[in-house]
Amino acid sequence: MRLPRFDYLGPDTLDEALDLLATHREEAKILAGGTDLLVRMKKGLLTPKFLISLKALNELSYIKKENDCIKIGARTSIADIIASDLIQKQARALSQACEKIGAVTIQHYRGTIGGNILQNNRCHHYNQSDFHRSGRQACHKDGGKICYARDASDRCNSTCQSDGATALMALGAKIVLASKGHERTVDLANFYTTDGIMPFAIESYELLKEIIVPAEGGSSAYQRLAYRSAIDYPIVCAGVLLKLSASQKNIIDDARIVVGAMSRSPLFLAREASSLKGKKLTDTEAFKKAADASMNSAAAFAVHNVGATLEYRCVMVSEMVFRALKSAAQDAKA
Amino acid sequence: MSDYTIIGKRMPRVDSRAKVMGKAKFTADLKLPGMLVGKIKRSPYAHARILNIDTSKALALPGVKAIVTGKDTEGVKWGVFAYTRDQQFIQTEKARYIGDEVAGVAAVDEETALKALDLINVTYEELPAVFDPMAAMASQTELIHEEFPNNINIHVNIDTGHVDENFEKSYYIREDTFVAPEESYFQAEPYAVLARFDHDDCLEVWCPNGGPHMKSKPLSNSFKIPLHKVKIRKIAIGGAFGGRSEICPADYICALLAKKTNCPVKIVFTREENTIATRQGHAMITTHKTGVDKEGRVLARETTCYMDGGAYSSTGPIATSVPFLSMEQAYRMGSVRYNGYRVYTNKPIRGMIRVHGRGFACGLDTQLDMIAEHLGIDPVEMRLRNSRQPGEYTSTKSYVDSCAMDETIHKAVEASGWKEKWGKLPPFHGIGIGTNSVQTGFPMGIRGGSQSFIKFNEDGEATVMSGVVDNGQGNDNMLVQIAAEELGLLPEDIHLVSADTETTSSDPGSYSQVSTFVGGHAVKIAAANCREKLFEVASKILKVDPGNLAAKNRMIFVKDNPEKCVPIKKVVRVSLLNFNSVNAEGGYWPKVDMKREWVSNPYGQMCEAFSFGTTIVEVKVDPDTGQVEVLQATAAQDVGYALNPLVLEGQFEGSVAMGGQGGMLTEYHEWKDGRCLNPTMLDYKLPLACDMPKIKNIIVESLDPKGPYGAKEAGMSIAMSAAQGYSAAVSNAIGVHMDSFPLTPDKILAAIKKKKSKAD
Amino acid sequence: MDKIDISLNINDKPFEVRVAPNDTLLEVLRDQLDLTGSKESCGEGVCGSCTVHMDDKPVRSCLTLALEAQGCNIKTVEGLANGDDLSDLQQSFIDHGAVQCGFCTPGMLMSADALLKSNPSPNEETTRKALSGNICRCTGYAKIVEAVCHAANPHDRCPDCKTDNNSGE
Repeated sequence: MRLPRFDYLGPDTLDEALDLLATHREEAKILAGGTDLLVRMKKGLLTPKFLISLKALNELSYIKKENDCIKIGARTSIADIIASDLIQKQARALSQACEKIGAVTIQHYRGTIGGNILQNNRCHHYNQSDFHRSGRQACHKDGGKICYARDASDRCNSTCQSDGATALMALGAKIVLASKGHERTVDLANFYTTDGIMPFAIESYELLKEIIVPAEGGSSAYQRLAYRSAIDYPIVCAGVLLKLSASQKNIIDDARIVVGAMSRSPLFLAREASSLKGKKLTDTEAFKKAADASMNSAAAFAVHNVGATLEYRCVMVSEMVFRALKSAAQDAKA
Repeated sequence: MSDYTIIGKRMPRVDSRAKVMGKAKFTADLKLPGMLVGKIKRSPYAHARILNIDTSKALALPGVKAIVTGKDTEGVKWGVFAYTRDQQFIQTEKARYIGDEVAGVAAVDEETALKALDLINVTYEELPAVFDPMAAMASQTELIHEEFPNNINIHVNIDTGHVDENFEKSYYIREDTFVAPEESYFQAEPYAVLARFDHDDCLEVWCPNGGPHMKSKPLSNSFKIPLHKVKIRKIAIGGAFGGRSEICPADYICALLAKKTNCPVKIVFTREENTIATRQGHAMITTHKTGVDKEGRVLARETTCYMDGGAYSSTGPIATSVPFLSMEQAYRMGSVRYNGYRVYTNKPIRGMIRVHGRGFACGLDTQLDMIAEHLGIDPVEMRLRNSRQPGEYTSTKSYVDSCAMDETIHKAVEASGWKEKWGKLPPFHGIGIGTNSVQTGFPMGIRGGSQSFIKFNEDGEATVMSGVVDNGQGNDNMLVQIAAEELGLLPEDIHLVSADTETTSSDPGSYSQVSTFVGGHAVKIAAANCREKLFEVASKILKVDPGNLAAKNRMIFVKDNPEKCVPIKKVVRVSLLNFNSVNAEGGYWPKVDMKREWVSNPYGQMCEAFSFGTTIVEVKVDPDTGQVEVLQATAAQDVGYALNPLVLEGQFEGSVAMGGQGGMLTEYHEWKDGRCLNPTMLDYKLPLACDMPKIKNIIVESLDPKGPYGAKEAGMSIAMSAAQGYSAAVSNAIGVHMDSFPLTPDKILAAIKKKKSKAD
Repeated sequence: MDKIDISLNINDKPFEVRVAPNDTLLEVLRDQLDLTGSKESCGEGVCGSCTVHMDDKPVRSCLTLALEAQGCNIKTVEGLANGDDLSDLQQSFIDHGAVQCGFCTPGMLMSADALLKSNPSPNEETTRKALSGNICRCTGYAKIVEAVCHAANPHDRCPDCKTDNNSGE
C-alpha cells in the first residue's frame, strides 16, 4: 500500500519543530512512531502536505520524577514506559495499559505515548480504504453528513480506543501543549471535544510535549477487553485510581473511574467514583455498585462501531471497572 | 514399514532453506524488464447496471499504458461447470457485488495506476440488492442472474429413500437449526499475478495457484490459444486453503493488459482485495432433523442447508455437497435426505475453503451431543455407535476401504484424559469431542489423474517432473521424498521440476486433498519404473537377477548380499555407454465413478480413500466475560500412512489454528449493505501465537490399500473436527448447546445469563 | 515533493538510494535494492511480515519511512546467515518444521532473532509473547515456538534438534 505524497520536514530541535508547525499549521502533521498516522494516510483518510518528524527530538524522550509528579516526554516509546520501575510502582495503570498496546516485539519500540494519546478515533465504517468508502455517501468524519454507526445521528460517533489515554485520565494526568513561544498545561480530562471528527482540543500549531502524572500516592489499575491477545484495540477498557485516607489505611478517600473505548473520548465518571468515598478497600459490593453505575452512564454514549456487539460492550464496562477496582484495592492492600 | 529409508521419516523440508534465507521468490517479488503495474477498477455498488465507462481521461494520464474493459473481452462467461457459466472476467452489463471487476489499468508505476483508476468514469444505475439468502430467494426485485429463478444457483438433492418411514420407527427425534457467517482465508501472501506474452506469443503467468493446470485451461479458452501456449510457471506460494484453485479474473485482466501493452504486467492485490475479490467461505443456515433408536443410532436424518453463495457460482455444486459428504462419510445413517441450496446474493463470491462447512458440521455434532444427553449416553460412546467402519458404503454409495475412525476416537480419548474429565470438571471448565471425515479427491473427469516423468543425469542424479503444486503444505518435499525412496537416492540428488504447465503433464492440483494420493502416486510409479531400468543394467554388472536387487543410499545392491553393490551413478553411465537413456514415466488415475455428478447424479464412488479425524478440546470459560481460554487440543487423524510425521504434525497444528481457534472462536465477517467491515488483518481476528493452546498430535495409520505407501489425506479432518471439538467444549463448559457460530464471547455470555435466569 | 539521495546501512553494507518522502523502507528494500525477503502482507503494521531490525530492534518496515532509516544499522532476513552458513535460528526453523508456506517466515525470524539477542534461552511463554506481533496462517505456531525455544538453548532439546547444533564448539 502506497503512502500519498508529502514533504518531509526533519527539525533538529523542539523550537524548530514549533516554528515549522506555526508556519504550516493545518497542512502539517506530526510524525512520531507512525503506527497510527501512516496507516490512516495509506487508507487516504488524511493527506497532509507536510510531515514534521520528531525523529531527531531526543529531548522529548524521558521519564523523570519531579516533586510529586512523573514527567514523561511525549516521544517516549511504549517499551520505555513498560520498562520503567517508576511508572510500574507509582502509575501502575499506565504500565498495564502500555503492555496491551500493539505487540511486544514491534509496536513497543515504534509506538510512542504521545502518539497513543493522540491516536485518532476509530469506527469500522470510517477506518477503511478509499475503495470501501466510495460508492456511498461520505460520513461525518469523512467530510459528509451521515453516520453509519447510528441512524440519523447529526454528528460523528467515532470511538477513542486509546489504552494510554484511558489510564492516564484515571491517573489524573495533565498534558503540556507547546506552540511557538507558548506552552499550556491542560488536564487530560478537559482535552477532548465532544466531536468525533476532531476529538482533541488541540490547535494545529500545537505539539504535545509532555505528560505529567501526579504521583501523590494511591493505587491504580487498568483493565481491557479485546478479541485477541495482541495487535488489537480494546473494545472496552477501564482505568481507576484509589486514594486512601491518610488516617485509615483501608478506607478510600478519593477515587477516579475512567471508561475507554465506549465513546468519542475516555469517559471520566466522577459521580460514579464519588460513591466510593469512605468505603473500605474490601467492600466489593461498593465496587460492584460503582461498576454498574459506570456501565449505565457509559452505555448511553456507545454505538456499534468497533467490533463485538454493543450490548456485550456495555455489559463489559461494568466488569472491567469492577476488575480494575478490585485490582487497585488489592494493590493498595499490598 | 521400517524398510523405508526416507519415507516415514521426520525429514525437514527441501524448500525451507531458501525460505529461511529470504531467497524464495513469491509472485510479488518478481521483476521483469519493462514490467508495468496493473490495477483493477472495481464496482463500489453491490448491484448496479453499468451504463457507460469513460476511460478517456485515464488514458490521457502520462504513464498509463493501457486500459481494458468488458469491451475487450467479447463478453464470454466462465464457470467451473458447463451449467455454472455465470461470470465474466470484466463485467459488461452489471456489477453484482462490491468489488466486481469493471476495468483494468497498466501503468508505469503504482501511483499512476491508482490515479488512472480514479479517472475512469463509470456511470452506474443502482439496482436493489440482496444480502441474505432467505431474502434473496423471496426477492421480487431484479434477479442477480436472470437465468436463475429465485436466485437459487444450485440445488443438491440427495435421498437414500426410507427417510420418512425410519423417522416413524425412531425412538427419539429432534430438529435444530444452526447458523454460521462467512469466513476468509487470509493467506499470508496477498494474491498477485504477473503475466507476459513471450517471443512466441505464448502467455507466461506466475501466480499463487492451487493447480497450474486448472489455471491454464480457462486462460487458453479465453484467449483462444492452444493449451501449450499457456505457460503457468512455478513460483513459491504463500498459502491457498482452497482459495486459489480457480481462475481469478485478475489473471485474465493481467494477461489482457500484457497483450495490449506488449509488456509484462504485475498485479498485486491489497489485503482488502484478497478478502473481498478472491473467495470466501459460505455463510450457512442448516436444519438437521435426526431420528435415533434407543441406543442412539441414527436411523433417519433430514438436513436442509441454505448457503449464501455470493454473486457467482464458483465451485458452487461442490461447496453445496462437501459439508454433506463429510457428514455421511463420518457417520452411518440408516437413511438420509439432503437438500442443499446455494443462493446468489450481492456479496463476494464464496468458494472452497479449508474447513468447508464448519457451521454445518458443528451443528450436526452439537445435535449428536444433545441427543446423547437426552438418552444419557456419553458423547464418545455416541460417536462410537455411529462411526464409520471399514468395508462399508456411505449413504451415497462410496465404498470405504481403509478406516480407523474408531482408533482416532480411542487414542484421542486416551491422550486427552477424557475419562477423568468428562462430567467431572469444575464449573465453566469443559471438554468436547468432534469427529469428521474428508474425501481424498473428487471425481474430476479427464483432469483427475497425474503423470510424472523422471530422467537421470550422467552424474547419477535425477530430475523429477510433476504437475503437483506446493501451496506451502510441503508437496515439493513429498515428491522428493517419494522419488528418493524409490530410486535409492538421497533427497539432495533429486531435482524437482513441478507446477509448470509447459514441462509437466496435467495434474488435479492441490485440490480436494489429492496431491499425495494422486500426484505423489504418479511419481512413485514413475520412479519405480525408472528403478526397474536401472536394475536391468545393474543386473548385468552384478550378474544377478534384477528381482534380487534393491537400491538405497545411491547404491544398487544384492538384497541378501549387500556387500555386492554398484553405485547408481555408475549404472547410469554404463547404460548411457550402451546407448540407453535412463528415464521413465508413470501415471495414476483414481478409479472413481465417472458417472457421479454433483447435482445430476450424486451417487457412486466419490474417491478411493477417506480420512477420519477426531479432535478433543478442553477449555475454560470466564463466566463474567464469556472469554474462552483453550487449555489443550488433542488431534488424532487416520492418515493412512505418515510419509513425513514432521510435516503432518504441522498440518494438524495449522488445522487446529484455522479450524478451531480461529474458525470457532474469533473469525467471521461483518457487513453493512454488502460492504465487508473487516477485510483487513487488524479487524479480522486471526489467532496469534499466544492465543493458541498446547496441541497433542496423534497420527493413526490404517494403510490404505490404494494410497502410495498406504497414505491418504492428512490435516483436513483435523480442521473440520477441531471446529466441532471447540464448539462442543465451550458448550460443555457453560452447559448450553450453542447453535450460532462462531462462539464469540457475547454469545457465550448471553447463553450463560439466559441459563442462569431460567434456573433462578 | 523532491526525491532525496540517502545512504542506508543494510546488512553491514552501505547503499546509496534516491527516495521520495513517501517511500517506505519496505518499498526501498524490495523495489530498489531487490531485497525481497521482507514481505508485504497487510501493509498496515499488523502482520509482522515486513519486520526488519533497526539497531537490533524489530520494526515494521511497511510503517517506516525510508528517510527515517538513515543512520541506523538495518538488518533484513538476507543478513541473518553468514554467507551460506545459516544462523542457529534459521537452522532450527528448518529442523523443527517451522516453515510451511514461508511467507511469514522472514518477519517471524527477525522478531525471534531480536528476542534471542536479549534472551538466548526464552521459555515457551516468553517466546509466544515475543512472536505475538507476527501472524502465521499455516502452522498454528507450535513448531515455530519450538524452533525458537530450541535454537540456542542447550538445555532444551528435542529429537528434531540437529545433534551437531550447539555442541559447544
